[in-house]
Amino acid sequence: MYGFHGAYLRIDLTRDESTRIPLDPGVLRAHLGGVGLGAWLLDREAPVGVDPLAPEAPIVLAFSPLVGTPLTTSAKFAVVAKSPLTGMLSDGLSSSDFALAGKAMGVDAIVIVGRCAEPSIWRAGRLEATDQWGASAADTERALAGTGRVIAIGIAGENGVRFASLSNGGRHAGRGGIGAVMGAKRLKALVVAGDVATQLADPARVRAQALDLARRSLGEATAKYRELGTLANLPVFDRLGVLPTRNFQSGRFDGIARLVEGGLAAGHGSTRQSCARCTIGCEHRYAAADGSTARVEYESAFALGPLCGIDDPAAVVEAIGRCDALGLDTISAGGTIAFAMECGERGWLADGPRFGDARSLLASLDAIAARRGVGDLLAEGSRRAALRIGRGALAIAAQVKGLEMPGYEPRGLHAQALGFAVGTRGADHNRSSAYEIDFSEKADRLHGDSRTALLTIESEDRAALIDSLILCKFLRGAFADVYAESAELLEAVTGMDFSAAELRDLATRVVTLRKRFNVREGWKPADDSLPDRFFDEAVESPGAPTARLSRERLGEMIRAYYVARGWSPDGYPPLPREREDAVGAEADAAGRMQAESLRPEPLG
Amino acid sequence: MSARSGIVLCGGRSSRMGRAKAWLPWGGRPMLAHVVARLAEVVDDVVVVAAPGQVLPDVPARIVRDPHEGCGPLAGIREGLRHAAGDLCFVTATDAPHLTVAFVEAVLGEGRAAAPVIDGYVQVLSAAYPRAGADVAKTLLDSGRRRPLDLLEHFDYLPIPAERLPDIASVRGFNTPDEYLVAARADDARPVTVELMGRARARIGQPELEVPAGSLRDILGCVGTRVALIEGDLVAPPYAVSLEGRVFVRDLRIPIGPGEHVIVLDASVGG
Repeated sequence: MYGFHGAYLRIDLTRDESTRIPLDPGVLRAHLGGVGLGAWLLDREAPVGVDPLAPEAPIVLAFSPLVGTPLTTSAKFAVVAKSPLTGMLSDGLSSSDFALAGKAMGVDAIVIVGRCAEPSIWRAGRLEATDQWGASAADTERALAGTGRVIAIGIAGENGVRFASLSNGGRHAGRGGIGAVMGAKRLKALVVAGDVATQLADPARVRAQALDLARRSLGEATAKYRELGTLANLPVFDRLGVLPTRNFQSGRFDGIARLVEGGLAAGHGSTRQSCARCTIGCEHRYAAADGSTARVEYESAFALGPLCGIDDPAAVVEAIGRCDALGLDTISAGGTIAFAMECGERGWLADGPRFGDARSLLASLDAIAARRGVGDLLAEGSRRAALRIGRGALAIAAQVKGLEMPGYEPRGLHAQALGFAVGTRGADHNRSSAYEIDFSEKADRLHGDSRTALLTIESEDRAALIDSLILCKFLRGAFADVYAESAELLEAVTGMDFSAAELRDLATRVVTLRKRFNVREGWKPADDSLPDRFFDEAVESPGAPTARLSRERLGEMIRAYYVARGWSPDGYPPLPREREDAVGAEADAAGRMQAESLRPEPLG
Repeated sequence: MSARSGIVLCGGRSSRMGRAKAWLPWGGRPMLAHVVARLAEVVDDVVVVAAPGQVLPDVPARIVRDPHEGCGPLAGIREGLRHAAGDLCFVTATDAPHLTVAFVEAVLGEGRAAAPVIDGYVQVLSAAYPRAGADVAKTLLDSGRRRPLDLLEHFDYLPIPAERLPDIASVRGFNTPDEYLVAARADDARPVTVELMGRARARIGQPELEVPAGSLRDILGCVGTRVALIEGDLVAPPYAVSLEGRVFVRDLRIPIGPGEHVIVLDASVGG
C-alpha cells in the first residue's frame, strides 16, 4: 500500500506479546489516521464500560498516511484512550520523531493493552524490567536514548494522577490523563525504532507539494507562531476580557503587566525550536529563575499564571517546567489548583494553595504528582475533588465532563462555550477550534445563536480532518480550501482518488464516531453543559456592560448543533450507518468483519 | 398633560453603513444611547424597537422586538405603539443625533398626529402618532399597505411647516459612511485610538496611535506600510480588527467614529 502500512501493532503487556494485525484498506480510507483511526481502534479494542485504569483498557497511538512523507508538520501522532478523568474518549496529538520512528515499524498504529507484571519498558518487541520507575519522563528518555524514540511517563503517571501526561522528545500529550492509563499498566516507556519507509504513490508530486507547503508555511499565515508563539495571546486575551483569571472569577488579570513585561513578553528572550519535519517552528523556550528553560505555550502560561493569580513570570516558567518534569497536564494542573485556591478562600478546603502564592503552587504540583496530603485529593481532578468537598463546590469547578477548561473565557466566547459543552473530550479547545469563530466577524462572540452552532460544526469538522491527516493546525491558515487541498495531498501519497466531498464526509464520520463511543460509555445529555458559575455570574467585558451566558442561550446553540448534525434533539447520533455515506459505511463494516476474522500474526 | 412616549426604530439593516447605526459613536456614546437620552428629557417612557436577535447598547428604555422583518418602518411603529405607555408617541429613527428637546416638544405639543413637512417631504420618522394607531397599523399592514404616511393620514395628521419648528436639523439622518463621518467629525474632534497588539505592535514599535476619524481603510492606512493590514476591501487575513474589544470587523468601508478604539491583533489566536 502507498501511504499506509495496512496494519497495527497490538502490544499485550500481560502476555508480553506483540502482534501485527492487518487493517482493511477500506477502514484506513474511511478514517485516515490520527484521531480518526485512533477513535476507530479504541471503539474496536476497548471493552464496553471498561475502567480506564484496568489492564483491558487500550491506549492507541495512531499515525497517519502523511507521517513519513516530506510534507511539513506531518510528523505527528494521536494518543487515544478512554480518559480516567472524564470516563469518555480522549484524543490528543503530539509531534516529532516518535511519530516517524513508530510508523517506520511498518504499522499505522500501536495499541497497548494489558498490564506489566512489574514496572517495565517495552523495547524491540519485548518488555524489560526497568529501574526508571520514579524518574522524570525526560530522564527516562535520556537513559533510553540511542535505542529508538521514546514515549514515557513521569511520576504523576506512575501514581495514577488523573491528568498525567505522556512525554516524547520534550513534547507532551497531556489532556485527559492518558499518562495515568500507561502508569496503571506499569509501563514506564515505549521505545520504537524501524526502517520501513512510507511508500509514496507519486513521489515527484509529493515532493512538489512538500516544497509548496513549506513555502506557504513560512508566509504570513503562520508568522505569529514563528515570531511570537502562542504566548502572544496573554495580553490580547486580557485586553478582550477573555483571559480566565483566579479560577474564572474574572476575564482580566491585574498582574498582566508584570507577567508580560517582567519576562513573558512573546518572542522576547526566548529561543525557538521546531518539531521534526516542521518549517513553522512555533516552540519558544523561556528561562526560569533557576536557570533552566521550559517550552512556554499560552495554555500553560495562562493556567499556571493568571488562573492561579500568579504574576511572577519566573515562577510561571518554573511551574511549567515542573509539570513537564512530573508528567502533569499543565491546563488541568493549573485548573485544579486554581479551583482549590478558591475553595480555600471560601473556607471549604484547609491547607490548600492560595491565589498569587507561587510557592504554594509549586508545592501543590509536587504534592499532586506524589499524591501527598491534599495533593491526593487534587490528583483526582477538579470535578471529583468538588464532589468530595461538597458545599456547592461543583459550581466553581471549571470543567466539562471532568476535563478542566483551557484559557478561553466561555462567557465572552460563545462559540467556544458551545465547543466546550459538546466536545466529546470535554472542555477542550483543539478538537473544535471554535474560538476562531469568536475572534472573527462571522459571529457575535457575546451573543451566540443557531448560526454560531453551524459555524462551530464547520470548525469542528475541519479540525477532525486536520487531526486525522495529521497536519499541524497552525498550518490551517495556509490552505485556501483545506478539503480540496488535502484530497490532493492524500491522492499523491496514497494513490487513492480522494475528493473534497469524501473528506467532508470523513470528518463528520470521525466526529460522530467519537460521540458514539461516549454514548456507549454512558454519555447523557446533561454532560453537554457548563458548570453553574458560567450561567450564574457575569464577567466584565470591554465595550459591553458584561459578558454573560444564559442557560437558555447555550441550550439554543446546543439544540441547533444537534439538529444540524442530524442527531436527536437531545444529542444522540443515529445508529451506525443510518446517515453515513455508502463508502464510509461499507468500509466500516468491511473493516470490522475482516479484522475480526483475521488471525493475528506474531511480530517479526 | 397626558403621558407621552418616545419610540426609536433601530431594526434596520444598516446595509449601506456597513455596521449597525445603533452602535455608531456620537458624543462619546453609542448613537442609540444618545437618541434615547435626548428623548427621555421630553417623554415619560422610551420604547426601542429592534429586530429579533439584534444586539443593542445598554440603554434605559424598553426594548421590543419587531418580528416582521422586511415589512418596513410601519411594522416597527406598530410594535412601538403597542408597547408605549403614552397616548401620544414621538417616533424617530436611531440615526437622528441632531434631535433636540425643543423640536420634539414642538411636534408633540400639537397634541395630535402631526408631522413636519420639510422641503415638501412629510417627515414620517420625526412625527407624532397616537397610541391608538397600533390597531390601525395592523389593519393597514394586513391589507398590504406599508407606508407610515397611511397611518398618519388615517388620523388626519397635522402637517407642520418647517418655519414653525425649531432645530429642523433634528430630522437629518445618514445612510452612508461618508454622511455619518462628515456629521460626526463636525460634532466631535476626538481622534480614533488604534491599539496595536502582537505582531503589529512588534513591527510598528509602539502600543497605540491616534488618528482622525474615518473609514476603517483610512484608519488602518495610518498605521503605515510596515504592517500589511489591507487586502482589497478587507482586513488582510493574518490580522483581525476589533472595535472596542467587542466585535470584530473586516470590511474596510465601514466608518470609525470619533473616540472609538480599534484594536489590531493577529488573526491566529489559537494555542
